[in-house]
Amino acid sequence: MALVEPGPTGVKTAAEAVAAVDHPPADRSSRQLGVLFWFAAGWILLLVICAVFRDLLPFRDPDALGIRTREVRKFEDPSWNAWFGGDGQGRDQFARVVQGARPALIIGITVTLIGGFIGSAIGVTSGYLRGKVDTATTVVIDIFLAFPGLVLLIAVRASFGNSMLVFIVLFSITSIPGYARIVRGASFALSERDFVDAAEAMGATKRRVLWKELAPNVAIPVLSFAFIGFALVIVAEGGLAFIGLSLDEVTWGKLIAEGTGDIKDHAHVSLIPATVMFLTILAFNLAGDSIRRLYSPREVATQRRLRVEGIADVNPDGSVLHISDLYTTLHTPAGDVHAVDGVSLSVRAGQALGVVGESGSGKTMILRSIVGAFALSDVTRSGTVEVAGVDMLRAPRGQVLRTLGTEIGMVSQNPLTALNPVRRIESQIIEPMMVHRGTSKAQARERALELLRLVGIPAPERRLREYPHQLSGGMRQRVTIAIALANEPKLLLADEPTTALDVTVQDQILRLLSGLQQEREMAMVLVTHDLAVVKGFTDSVAIVYGGQVVEYGPTSEIFANPRHRYTVALMQSMPDLDLPSHSELITIDGSPPSLLRPTPGCRFAARCPAAQDVCHSLTPAASERDDHWFRCHFPAEITPVSVGAPADSEAD
Amino acid sequence: MLIARRAVRLVFVFFVVTFVTFVLLDLTPGDPAETFAGLNATPEVVEQIRIDLGLDGSLFERYVHWLGNAIRLDFGDSVVTRGFSSFDLIRDTLPKTLELMILAELIAIGLAVPLAIASARRPGGLVDNLSSSSAFGLLALPSFVLGIYMSYVFGVKLGWFPTIVDNLPGLNDDPIDNLRQMLLPSVTLALNLVAVYLRLLRSDLIETLQEDYVMLAQARGLSERRVMWRHVLRPSSLNFTTAVGLNVAGLVGGAFIIEILFAINGMGSLVIRSVILEDFNVVAAVVAILTVAYVSLNFIVDLLYAWLDPRIRHGAR
Repeated sequence: MALVEPGPTGVKTAAEAVAAVDHPPADRSSRQLGVLFWFAAGWILLLVICAVFRDLLPFRDPDALGIRTREVRKFEDPSWNAWFGGDGQGRDQFARVVQGARPALIIGITVTLIGGFIGSAIGVTSGYLRGKVDTATTVVIDIFLAFPGLVLLIAVRASFGNSMLVFIVLFSITSIPGYARIVRGASFALSERDFVDAAEAMGATKRRVLWKELAPNVAIPVLSFAFIGFALVIVAEGGLAFIGLSLDEVTWGKLIAEGTGDIKDHAHVSLIPATVMFLTILAFNLAGDSIRRLYSPREVATQRRLRVEGIADVNPDGSVLHISDLYTTLHTPAGDVHAVDGVSLSVRAGQALGVVGESGSGKTMILRSIVGAFALSDVTRSGTVEVAGVDMLRAPRGQVLRTLGTEIGMVSQNPLTALNPVRRIESQIIEPMMVHRGTSKAQARERALELLRLVGIPAPERRLREYPHQLSGGMRQRVTIAIALANEPKLLLADEPTTALDVTVQDQILRLLSGLQQEREMAMVLVTHDLAVVKGFTDSVAIVYGGQVVEYGPTSEIFANPRHRYTVALMQSMPDLDLPSHSELITIDGSPPSLLRPTPGCRFAARCPAAQDVCHSLTPAASERDDHWFRCHFPAEITPVSVGAPADSEAD
Repeated sequence: MLIARRAVRLVFVFFVVTFVTFVLLDLTPGDPAETFAGLNATPEVVEQIRIDLGLDGSLFERYVHWLGNAIRLDFGDSVVTRGFSSFDLIRDTLPKTLELMILAELIAIGLAVPLAIASARRPGGLVDNLSSSSAFGLLALPSFVLGIYMSYVFGVKLGWFPTIVDNLPGLNDDPIDNLRQMLLPSVTLALNLVAVYLRLLRSDLIETLQEDYVMLAQARGLSERRVMWRHVLRPSSLNFTTAVGLNVAGLVGGAFIIEILFAINGMGSLVIRSVILEDFNVVAAVVAILTVAYVSLNFIVDLLYAWLDPRIRHGAR
């Protein structure tokens, strides 16, 4: 694999970080249905048995009045004699509830089949053909949704009577839009077909594509919705029964409606059928939900937590940023990701440090560990991060927030996503000043104008009133720089600040950042995958690989005399204008190591041309020279003398 | 531009819905003229009444005639309750239904938004697990089932609220008694909505929380609360707002059932009674008013949508 960063598609979340770093084998347990599904299936099976065999089952006649049979008293409480008690006419409520299972299932199944079939057909047509057909369909669906459905049901039901057929036709019609909408959405995605094409291009057979890609995208949503739609039919029947428009048959809705009048004294008459209906709806919803989960990507159920371990180290030379022995671990469902693995770095005021590595090397995670922003992840940090004298890991929350707001400015990789799309530029710039400095709105606004001028934005008054989408990428990056500078921070953190920008703008932004950094004597950390950026704009460089710093030194020294094999490989993959144009760019084979299960030994061993046995078993220690050190058993420009002698690496 | 297109579509919806209702009512057996004339009327009298009521002419003519009157809020007399116009009946019952729906909507939003935020802060945490499973359970409770549970627990067992809304005083006259009576029905109606809103908002909040700009807001030292309410909530509330608008039609149905359950003399009770008694002027009037309400509400939602997301306002999306 070539050592080229894939542009602005930066790693966003812990989950994606895991996906980008490692592809653990699909966890089969997540594909299982779970206890609740089996409860649901059991209940549905019970209903089916009651509905099919109700006449064969040894229950009482549901219509037999207690006055005649003398078996069940009027409003008898539930007992061994009558499990669900008796209703107002002494009929056995249990027998009546069993009786109600049949109409519920008949209506549910037929409506689901008819509505599902017609709705799916409409949805597919609309989703594939798009254009006018689709617009027409959406309008019709809109109308359906606008229609007070109950009124339609009442009106039709009044005109055509209460046979089961009328109910089925009615409910089928009203259920069509739901299916149409779901299938339309799914077909829309399918007609894009990008992923289908992609899967075919990657050598999957047609049948495999159909099964692996199409099934989860159309069949599963429809099947899942069918169960939920089934439940909706039961609800609709109940609702109609409730307002006195039911079937001739005994239905649950009817039983509930009959009992509500006596809720004060004989609550069981309505509570029991109500509960049966609730359990039935719950069972169908659960079944539908389980089916959906079966094929939808697993939700990341990580806790959002930020923990700190270990004790703080002292900052010996008063650096603005002092990182010592920092370990950052993301606890994910797939396992612990060791994103930062024992990193120590310092930056003094007025100095710029370049942090260089491939994507997935953990370099962005170093920045995130400084500010402690990890989106929705469970993270443990240990070691020391000190900014302007404040222990960012252990200081009280208020002090950490204050330091973040006043001493640190951050510029992120993608200016298109770095600004809140629904807030004006003005409110985004003035917010840190007003929150952390208590600046008045008017003053903050003045200062915002100054800042926009400072970062080279023309017509700042107008820009303040605008929204991010009205600005170009370069302009947006200038705005994020302005926000970062708002409270005159001592430390500027820039995460690939130019990767997502046009080449013509990249240099402008870098010059702006670097100029501001020097003028204001800020310490700066510039994270990048581009050595050329580092060369022109930093004083020292840290090369990061597998979550560790593998080489560190003054920028000029690193370029003149790279020692770690990885640094050497990076240099060779960098286009150099000084070399003859036919010089070959050397790429590094393989991909960055898994941060999920770090291998013993040197992280780079698997891809290193000079690796020996020892490299796979023994992690190289940092060489002892202070201003330029590296972790390599067999550094460049040194001929290996004997295997297993890491001390050799110190010879220079 | 987008707004204009939406407006046209909504007006179209209004015409179609009212026309379809008109046709449906026309299909119903029973002759309003005969009903109006009474049992002993001669055919001539019935015919005269038919002309008086504007019931002669083709279906389309009658629809246009009706629509022309409807614009002036004249929906014809109630055929059953003589002496009352359909509009009178609606004016008497509408406030109660409206109060029920607005209360329910306020309760639902008031519960769903903080719950969704608390859930999204720690997905998979205790609050999230509890609220997600409750939402799932609530979705399986139709309003009439939930209503029975509520009135059994809070009305019968605990005796905190009346199980039946009786002689409801106006909200201005006796707000305390009014709210005491309306609370149970409103909460019942609201809980289903809470479940729908909570799920939708929670997943959108979680999505927004992964955005770069949220990470940067955190990195700027803004408090978690500020980040949630100021930076995350608004960009996450687009789908939620749409759902509120679309749900109104469903809410009407739910409100009608709640009215029956708690014996509230609202528009639902009116329309159900009118259907059973074949008082079709009233039914048509209710449908027309409901549709107008639905259409204007969704128009407001569209405006709100454009306010929430400036990209829509500028056609950049």
